Amino acid sequence: MQIFLPIADVPVDLFVLLILGAAVGFLSGVFGIGGGFLMTPLLILLGIPAAVAVATEANQIAASSFSGVLAHLKRRAVDFKMGNILVVGGLLGSAVGVEVFRIIKSYGQIELFVSLCYILFLGSIGTLMFLESLSTIQQSRKSANTFKHKKKHNWIHGLPFKTKFKSSNLYISAIPPVIIGFIIGILASIMGVGGGFILIPAMIYILGMPTKVVIGTSLYQIMFITAFTTFMHATQNKTVDLLLALILIVGGVLGAQLGARVTVKLKAEEIRILLAIIVLLVCLKLALDLMITPSDLFSITYGNE
Amino acid sequence: MRAVIFAIIFLFLTSPFSLSSVISDIDKSDIELSTRFDGTSILVFGALSPEIDSTSLLVEVVGPSASVNIRKKVQIWGIWVNKKIAHFQDIPSFYQISISNPEHPILKEIEYKKLKSLFYDFLEINSTPEDGNAVEQYYDELTRLKKNLGKLSTFEEEVNIIDKKLFSYKVNLPKKIQPGLYKIKMTLIDQQGNELSKSEQSVKVSKVGVQEFLSYNSKNNPIFYGLFSVIIALFLGFSAAQLFRWLYR
Repeated sequence: MQIFLPIADVPVDLFVLLILGAAVGFLSGVFGIGGGFLMTPLLILLGIPAAVAVATEANQIAASSFSGVLAHLKRRAVDFKMGNILVVGGLLGSAVGVEVFRIIKSYGQIELFVSLCYILFLGSIGTLMFLESLSTIQQSRKSANTFKHKKKHNWIHGLPFKTKFKSSNLYISAIPPVIIGFIIGILASIMGVGGGFILIPAMIYILGMPTKVVIGTSLYQIMFITAFTTFMHATQNKTVDLLLALILIVGGVLGAQLGARVTVKLKAEEIRILLAIIVLLVCLKLALDLMITPSDLFSITYGNE
Repeated sequence: MRAVIFAIIFLFLTSPFSLSSVISDIDKSDIELSTRFDGTSILVFGALSPEIDSTSLLVEVVGPSASVNIRKKVQIWGIWVNKKIAHFQDIPSFYQISISNPEHPILKEIEYKKLKSLFYDFLEINSTPEDGNAVEQYYDELTRLKKNLGKLSTFEEEVNIIDKKLFSYKVNLPKKIQPGLYKIKMTLIDQQGNELSKSEQSVKVSKVGVQEFLSYNSKNNPIFYGLFSVIIALFLGFSAAQLFRWLYR
């Protein structure tokens, strides 16, 4: 069934969008990832303008992360103080990111910019994931995984503005969380991702937070940042397509619930390799689209850019 | 519909015409762009004076204006990058011209004159032309790209003439059209291209429902729209969490 998206200004098939939303939602349920880094490029490949894909995906993530935060609140797995400091950095990053986005858009180069960011991003994440799962598979054949996270006394502890984080049982400077939050804000606003796959390792390895509060706290920050990013894109760039967001939210919720409850027959490492391959394929497609000589050199855009 | 045609013929036959003339009507004057809009067609019909042997009927459909940028892909470091090369300020977003007599002696001249006054005169060049023919090239690219998008057609559609007195014409609108006023102009011309008589109809194309609500507020009330989008998303996220907690209780 074909529907016309009011802001993206393109006709799309409703079922294709629902299935796409459900498929990415399913993957996020299985892997515990947000899925924004897959959804945004897939929307672009479907023909949605890059600016609309990014802003609308931020809107979708606001919904899914709020849903996730509620579950973690019940388990008291959110460090509010840390979350709020991350949010402060994130709001600044998001405001800067949306402004950069607006400037590049005014030059008519936002498709190129978003594509390049994604090629870089998906390329490195896909490769890392692929290599890591390969080595895990080899390791697990030899012996049980003996990896253990150690608390280190690193450069973080030399910074000023130290404060106590009760839930995380930490006494560290507020500067690193602000900077990390800032970077996540930038990523959310120019790529339409939650940034969990950067935020979570940063919380564990840089800030040294205990794993039990990491996911809840990251979702808490992501919810605020994507909500704010949605608002900023709506007011600065007018690129949030609420109809598209609604379809993706519905598809995503169903897929994620299914993904979280289904028992996958494959081993975790094998699914991770599968995910890495998907990520690399999307990256390859974006790169090829930029490099292959186009069949038509000329194109039309509307408006005064 | 048939009654309308007969009424027109009756009016026409009883009116004291001495010169060539044309009267017309359309089957709909409003088109609603809903979320499900998938293109539509408008039927234009009417009557002509009996002197069609020496005259031809031109039918033009002119959509609301929009500015258009022509972009060309250039290779920079192995990557194809879009470069804006020309801009046409406020040209019709949709234009169709057809004629009852495709053998008209000055068809090419009419076509060029129309395209010039509607499109080519509004060119603003962005990059320095690489050669002397650049301006003509921009015209050609605009024409070609617009035709590919189904937004421009010149003498490709047929104007049906019945018994030298009646005419009918079908305008096919693509699924992606700009809202606004679409004018349909019927002009009787002689062999030299002189205008003998004119008739004009208009069709209002407007977004409705969800389509109208979202695009209007996104443009005109961005703060409300932004807050609304966030609230809807959070509400749905909350509902989903509640729903599944209840389902799996």
